[in-house]
Amino acid sequence: MIFKVAWRNIWRNPARSLVVIASVAAGLYAGMLLIAIFNGFVVQEIDSAVHTQLAHIQIHAPAFSEDKDIKIVLPNGTELEEKLKNIPGITGVSGRIITTGMISSATAAAGMEIHGIDARDEQRVSKVSEMMLQGSYFKTPRPNSVVLGSTLAEKLGVKMNSKIVLTFQSATGDLTAGSFRISGIFKTTNSMFDQSTVFVQKADLATITGTLNNLHEIAILCADIKQVDATTSDLKKQYPALKVESWKEISPEMAMVTSIFDQMMYIIIGIILLALMFGIINTMLMAVLERQREFGILMAIGMNKPRIFMMILWETVILTMAGIPVGIGATLASLAYLSKAGLDLTQFSKSLSQYGIGNIIYPVLQPAVFLPITIFTAITAILSALYPAWKALRFKPAVAIHKI
Amino acid sequence: MNEVIKITDVSKIYNPEAIPVKAVDGVTLTVEAGEFTALVGPSGSGKTTLLNLIGGLDHPTSGTVEIAGTNITTMRENALIDFRLRHIGFVFQAYNLVPVLSAQENVELVMLLQGKSAKERSDRAKELLASVGLPDKLDKRPSELSGGQQQRVAVARALASKPGFILADEPTANLDSVSTSNLLDIMTRLNKENNMTFIFSTHDQRVIDKARRVIKLVDGKIESDSRQ
Repeated sequence: MIFKVAWRNIWRNPARSLVVIASVAAGLYAGMLLIAIFNGFVVQEIDSAVHTQLAHIQIHAPAFSEDKDIKIVLPNGTELEEKLKNIPGITGVSGRIITTGMISSATAAAGMEIHGIDARDEQRVSKVSEMMLQGSYFKTPRPNSVVLGSTLAEKLGVKMNSKIVLTFQSATGDLTAGSFRISGIFKTTNSMFDQSTVFVQKADLATITGTLNNLHEIAILCADIKQVDATTSDLKKQYPALKVESWKEISPEMAMVTSIFDQMMYIIIGIILLALMFGIINTMLMAVLERQREFGILMAIGMNKPRIFMMILWETVILTMAGIPVGIGATLASLAYLSKAGLDLTQFSKSLSQYGIGNIIYPVLQPAVFLPITIFTAITAILSALYPAWKALRFKPAVAIHKI
Repeated sequence: MNEVIKITDVSKIYNPEAIPVKAVDGVTLTVEAGEFTALVGPSGSGKTTLLNLIGGLDHPTSGTVEIAGTNITTMRENALIDFRLRHIGFVFQAYNLVPVLSAQENVELVMLLQGKSAKERSDRAKELLASVGLPDKLDKRPSELSGGQQQRVAVARALASKPGFILADEPTANLDSVSTSNLLDIMTRLNKENNMTFIFSTHDQRVIDKARRVIKLVDGKIESDSRQ
């Protein structure tokens, strides 16, 4: 009957009860949507980094990463590349010749990292080919063609089919240069990458640098990002003389961003739950103070304090249980829309592109998040009931009975 | 003689440290089983305070209150709640039923708190509501009942726990003359047939006329104690 009294009490003031239900629903909705948006940011940032520059795993000769010396090549790189292609769970392997150098147009020059790639292999690990603004990603391979980013093209004042000169060190340590014609201009979500990387065909670069059949880097893409750590670990054991690194190891700042986002998310959710807590305390306290006489009567006729406490707790639990499905429903509805339409943040595109994030964020929510958030919300609601319940227990029956 | 209530030199002072108000001043009183007692006196004479002290709703500043041989003066809050549940029935001026429960549920609530079975609760609640003339109002909520009917439900609720006595604070103050007459008939019948002890505060002459003992309080002291 204590539950029955609690249940019926809720409907004595439907407007107030609806306010609590709406608060719980809004708190849950805001919390989960924020998680989804943050998660969307992180997923897109990682996705962008992985599919433009990092891939999931990279293999180098140990000393190469330090100064990117063109002479430090992967021993038996091409054979290794072929072997890796046959490992289950690996969906893309691209052997790259990498060197740093200078790109010059008729009017400007810039420092740069030059990637010599095989377009077919590279498309299995990178999505740059899907981000072409003009031209193509070596679709009709012409010798000495180059694909570069739009920001770099603007900086150099060049267009499609313009000629540029790439200057870099050869395998013998001499300075060498080659004339290339622009066959494609791309634009990724990462403006830094667009300014600092150009792609040429591996054969062209090998010829000019004299690194025939040699590779500096093998980029690997796994079927699932969750397999990356295990695959990295396996490859490290298999090739102890080589430097095998996952994307988190290559770019620790990316892992840090993920961790910062996580922390920010918890802080914001904490603030939302705190606001929710004060909302519920306020409403439940009002409900308790309004029914002071009733609590006095109940205590007078013999209802003990634990039962009164439970009654108030039940009321809050029922209201919370009503609010939770509403909040989850609203979140799912919003996510169904936003996961397709995305959240347009074009006005922040400049800053977003510096972090490698596109203008449209697609919120992502893992199903596993629902349970902890729901539990946190329920705990918050129950904690919020403690003060009003404690207040009710402090009523003196002789005084409370005569309250109007 | 069977003493149900024994009050010895009880005083209640409100605001003892600021402006002390002596609501009850050295009252000594015994009430025996089966008495039908009216506490009368002008407003502020201490009737309600004395009822609260007898009912264990308040603690005296000094003196002792014994109910059925148990000194309740020193009892802790939770023990007092449990004691009230088993020994004392209350009827209040403003009926004070739980608004979200039906008449039957209001009567059953006390028995539920006593841990009685669902069947026992239901049977006794129906029996009590029939005895106060409301056999057809079991499912009605307080808002669907008249003041007189609500007060009869309150009497049934007070009886539900099979208390040693019933305390009623101005039970007819909010009732019209017909309802007052009906309620008095029920209370006197319960007193005669079941030997139920009633102590009530009142200003109502019709109620005073029915009482067999009238205690008059003035300024917190017993001015007169007469049997009629």
